[in-house]
Amino acid sequence: MATASVTTAGVGTSEQYNYDIVRKFAIMTLVWGAIGMFVGVYIASELAFPFLNFDSAYITFGRLRPVHTSGVIFGFGGSALFATSYYVVQRTCQARLFGGERLANFTFWGWQAAVALSALGYMFGYTQAREYAEMVWPVDLLILVVWVSYLAIYVGTLMKRKQPHIYVANWFYLAFILATALLHIFNNLQVPVKLFSLESYSLFSGTQDAMTQWWYGHNAVGFFLTAAFLGMMYYFVPKQAGRPVYSYRLSILHFWAIIFLYMWAGAHHLHWTALPDWTGTLAATFSIMLLLPSWGGMINGIMTLSGAWDKLRTDPVIRFLIVALSFYGMSTFEGPMMSLKDVNALSHYTDWTVGHVHSGALGWVAMITFGSMYHMVPRIWNTQMYSLRLINVHFWLATIGVLLYIVAMWISGIMQGLMWRAFDDFGNLQYSFVESVAVAHPFYVMRALGGAFFLTGMIIMCYNMYRTIRQGSTEAHAGLNVATA
Amino acid sequence: MSQDKAATTTTPKTTGHNWDGIEEYTNPLPTWWIWGFYITFIFTVVYWLFYPAWPIGDKFTKGIPGLHTITYKATTVDGKEVEKTTHWNMRSKFMHEMNEMEGVQKQWFDKVAAMSFADVSKDAELMQFVNSAGKTLFSDNCAPCHQAGGQGKIAFSPNLTDDHWQFGGTYDEIQQTINHGRKGFMPAFKEVLNEQQITQLANYVLSLSGEPHDAAFATAGAQLFKSEDAGCYYCHGENAKGNTQMGSANLTDKIWLWADVPGKATQESKLAEVKKVISGGLDRGVMPAWGGRLKPEQIKLLTVYVHDSLGGGK
Repeated sequence: MATASVTTAGVGTSEQYNYDIVRKFAIMTLVWGAIGMFVGVYIASELAFPFLNFDSAYITFGRLRPVHTSGVIFGFGGSALFATSYYVVQRTCQARLFGGERLANFTFWGWQAAVALSALGYMFGYTQAREYAEMVWPVDLLILVVWVSYLAIYVGTLMKRKQPHIYVANWFYLAFILATALLHIFNNLQVPVKLFSLESYSLFSGTQDAMTQWWYGHNAVGFFLTAAFLGMMYYFVPKQAGRPVYSYRLSILHFWAIIFLYMWAGAHHLHWTALPDWTGTLAATFSIMLLLPSWGGMINGIMTLSGAWDKLRTDPVIRFLIVALSFYGMSTFEGPMMSLKDVNALSHYTDWTVGHVHSGALGWVAMITFGSMYHMVPRIWNTQMYSLRLINVHFWLATIGVLLYIVAMWISGIMQGLMWRAFDDFGNLQYSFVESVAVAHPFYVMRALGGAFFLTGMIIMCYNMYRTIRQGSTEAHAGLNVATA
Repeated sequence: MSQDKAATTTTPKTTGHNWDGIEEYTNPLPTWWIWGFYITFIFTVVYWLFYPAWPIGDKFTKGIPGLHTITYKATTVDGKEVEKTTHWNMRSKFMHEMNEMEGVQKQWFDKVAAMSFADVSKDAELMQFVNSAGKTLFSDNCAPCHQAGGQGKIAFSPNLTDDHWQFGGTYDEIQQTINHGRKGFMPAFKEVLNEQQITQLANYVLSLSGEPHDAAFATAGAQLFKSEDAGCYYCHGENAKGNTQMGSANLTDKIWLWADVPGKATQESKLAEVKKVISGGLDRGVMPAWGGRLKPEQIKLLTVYVHDSLGGGK
């Protein structure tokens, strides 16, 4: 609130929109990004050098891993989505957020509390043991209330819009909010063991439980990490490039295709398990049909830049956005391939899966977020980025980091897959499991190094942002009237 | 993308909407994109014809009959060998692949099962098979306790590569150990003996292995060892060489399993290690039974592998 009044003092026009909430979420995006990625690098190092567990239960891989995933997905990614969606919906609707400061602030504090409580809970061993939905039931309830408020704010703002049409970015954000509500509710139908116990049982059992979990898990990727970030892309790419979106028709078609097809694909996470064969087949084919709809977003983003390609040389922010789209295209190709039964027989349970997730998470989600933040943060603080050079350094550190990471995981993953299925001339398994662990070691070191590059970039971003924000506040104090974009 | 002439030669129209300065072109869908989309539909339908795909009531489509089948052999509950051909499914595929490899292994396992231990170890070709299968069987089943290569770990699991065998090192004894498991036990003496007596015994035990010790205490310990007060000789024998029938340790060699004597630097700390065992006893030397988990021919093969290839106890 302090920053808001400071900015108001300097530049009255910025109060046309509620930027205060955008600033709060933007800052937490940076904080969670640094924390979540640090924990990621630490657990990657634990896998390479197990002594780093230091015989302490609180920091073992098993407990820190959900701290990492929740920190980066819900802390970093979630805060980035709140920040950008509140920014985009206000600007493209020319309306202030529905529900006033209070409701918006409730989503901020509620969400931050939920992420912080989950992370602490995991370290103390409180988990629901459902991947990406490890939060215990009271936290689930908190998230539910926050999410319904978010939906109300979003829909309310859309209804207040002064534009006849709803911009495509908002379709994606809205689909993300609705789908996440649905997923969160159904995957967290739990019966607490006792009223005052944090432990609970799932309402579903056996394969159906696994099926529900992966319907959730995959659509968390589909709607949280894909659709929502496409919303981000649809605003920040044309805005930063200063070019119209390539094709309106493509945006409609690929939007509805993604929304319809994604919901079916989750069961491909359960190939070669007790899940019935037909379920896996349907999931695999819907994943294949998702390939081109997913690429629709990439085409629309990259082609938006056609006629302004030279900006790739001069503008590091555009570079982030375009490289993000390239990684998006690559991982949405890799995903459908891995969902085919025979490819999955090689990739399942190996590091290949981990590499695939990170080419999406680091290459697409984090890169598009970085680009968008570099565009948005100076604008909401009415200033310029402190250093373009540091953005460039961040860009290269991040790119090298992702490449090191995914190449390491491709090699160790495919190697594991091949070793586990290798037979010798006697018909015996050629390798024991532990041999496949031993050969992975150098690639685990390489992965940790890639993560360290990425983390270093993130820390440089935090510094750059800190200087930018401070400079924005000082300028406002000095009464410098920097026009808003 | 560049063949899309509309985009490059003339300026495309926009939809006329404008949001915060963002406009949208009315470019048509890229042709390759539409065709790509169609191709994935075609692929999908073909895939449905090859695999189980759509649920109908409590049944499901199984692909075109005869198009994508798997044949495998299995043994029924009443021991009959049957051959089955089914539509593609995970279980049949698993059975088929297992059949294939078991077919290759069978001739070798049959030989191992038919021959005596000694004959197996003399057959160079067969020993190649034993080493190939034994390495993986050992790594996946035994190494978690006995460590890579069977080197063991003091205070945890016996070393299988040295000359001492707690429960006997003949083929038959090793086979019995793997089949039925073992449980090492030594009673605690802290209630029976006083501190001084335990110190005397510990010094005697150290003296047997040529470790630094207090000679006066060791002499007294030797008496105690054979006395009815302590009764150590019941299990460890008059000469303290142990008894493989009950798994009591040979105390005269330099091999230590429970007391980490080699790992300690000073005489006091070595003594403390031995005293810990005498006063507290042992109730944790448990090896689980592998009979029932592994097939008899796998256990026989492991026996030869442990006896001949890991070295020791011949």
